[in-house]
Amino acid sequence: MADIACFTRNRCTTVEIVDEQTTRSTCRVQDTAMEAWVEILVKSPNLDIVEATGEIRRSSEGNRLDISGDLRKVIGARVGPGIKKIIRGLIGERPFVEMMAILLDECCNGVIMSFTRDVLLAAPKDTAGEKVFFSNMVRANPRLYNSCAALSEGSPLMETLELDKIDGRR
Amino acid sequence: MIKFTRNKLASVYRKDDDVLSVHGVLEDDIYGMEVDLDLGLPGLEILAISGRWNRMENAECFRAIPFLQEAVGLRIDQDFTQKLQKGVGRKACRHFADLILECCEAARDAARLIPKKDQEAKKPDVEIDDYFGKAGEPEKPGIPAPASLQKREMETVQDASRPMVIDLHVHSAPASPCSSVPVEQLIEEALSIGLDGICLTDHNHRWEPSEVEALRQKHGLLILRGNEITTDQGDILVLGLEEDIKGVIKLEELREKVLKAQGFMIAAHPFRGFLTFGIGYLGLTPQKAGKRPVFQRVDAVEVRNSRVSEKENRFAAQVAKILGLPVIGGSDAHKPGEVGRYATRFADPIRNEHDLIAALKKGRFSPIVFRGP
Repeated sequence: MADIACFTRNRCTTVEIVDEQTTRSTCRVQDTAMEAWVEILVKSPNLDIVEATGEIRRSSEGNRLDISGDLRKVIGARVGPGIKKIIRGLIGERPFVEMMAILLDECCNGVIMSFTRDVLLAAPKDTAGEKVFFSNMVRANPRLYNSCAALSEGSPLMETLELDKIDGRR
Repeated sequence: MIKFTRNKLASVYRKDDDVLSVHGVLEDDIYGMEVDLDLGLPGLEILAISGRWNRMENAECFRAIPFLQEAVGLRIDQDFTQKLQKGVGRKACRHFADLILECCEAARDAARLIPKKDQEAKKPDVEIDDYFGKAGEPEKPGIPAPASLQKREMETVQDASRPMVIDLHVHSAPASPCSSVPVEQLIEEALSIGLDGICLTDHNHRWEPSEVEALRQKHGLLILRGNEITTDQGDILVLGLEEDIKGVIKLEELREKVLKAQGFMIAAHPFRGFLTFGIGYLGLTPQKAGKRPVFQRVDAVEVRNSRVSEKENRFAAQVAKILGLPVIGGSDAHKPGEVGRYATRFADPIRNEHDLIAALKKGRFSPIVFRGP
């Protein structure tokens, strides 16, 4: 018997540099039940959301639903830590809002990941260089320590940090 | 020019009457990964999981794979996202957690469609729109009962006439879901390191005066009540507001409420940066940052917080200096061993919440390194 999928979902997020100060982030989702997109414009250096637009193109609620009014509520919020909670708090609990919130989260995460990508481009490929790079990254951002398996106690990338701790106790 | 792309794909099929299988793929500029999950019906409990890397951020990312098993047994319910992020996100990899969440949401939506699809098989003349029913409606979380608005002064057992050191920013479990320290443990630690008091600033949670009074009497430590409230402009430590605010509030609205209550507002960790790049990367200067609306609507700025980098604390201090805003320190403790890392020294004795707000308004205080980061 063929294992025919009963549900499929594709979600695609793209981040585009519009100009030196402006970044556009777009998330599109298509699945068995619905199709929608959300786009935000973010201004540097504060990463303020200055525009948010979107549309539900297909859903059980109807086609081509304009959701811009709900999305505009996030204008003025800053992309950064805590934005997920802020988005959910600002756009409320109407039907489909959870789906819009997920699309907005993806847009914001895309912006952050685009900056992260720039940082990681500088990471050395060799083992010794990688250890120095990632241990320095964690020293500069202590929240990263124990934030994932690779940056936790016992990982070779964290060896020098473990030594720092031992030295600190002496 | 496109700078970053992330694609996620989730495919769900019905393995048998009781199990949904989901295959998920995440591909972006940094990561490439796949997961396979089995979820039990009707409870949507994760029965089995496996995952693999195709491309990794660094050579040690492979360590995440065994920790994916933390997801087994989790059920897609109200706290699912939080549990997944705590278990898989922190112990394994937050991007794997993200992909698992995508897969589970797809499975949940598929499960909603299955009865309709079964019906479709029996009644082929049914219109497709009939199948969806209430598929798009999010599940509403339970509404917690509002805390008492009872006002009450809490006299403390301490009668200090000396300067006092208080950690103005601590989180306890379970009041703050992100904290792993029970309040009793926080208090014991605070006593053992010689703090004069702590202020419980759990996220959007009001402590009842009677609860805090009982803790104070039991332990003989000054325990004050505050609140860390999420606004559209970031987190704010609020003192003196009895209203139990849930969810996210507009900063302007919060300001009006606090002014009415004659309370005090502090911008908490205002420059908590992103995980792998900091403030300098964005070209943000203290002058530019000082124009953020949040600084027009707070009474003070937290410039010593143990959960942000030194650079971010220094930056907050520079901004506060430019704006002439008073500054405080707090540990933002969420784990054992964090309470008292930073604190605030008050020139005047503090016996209760009224004294605390009066002292903050007088400005006779300063942030200090107490236990150290």
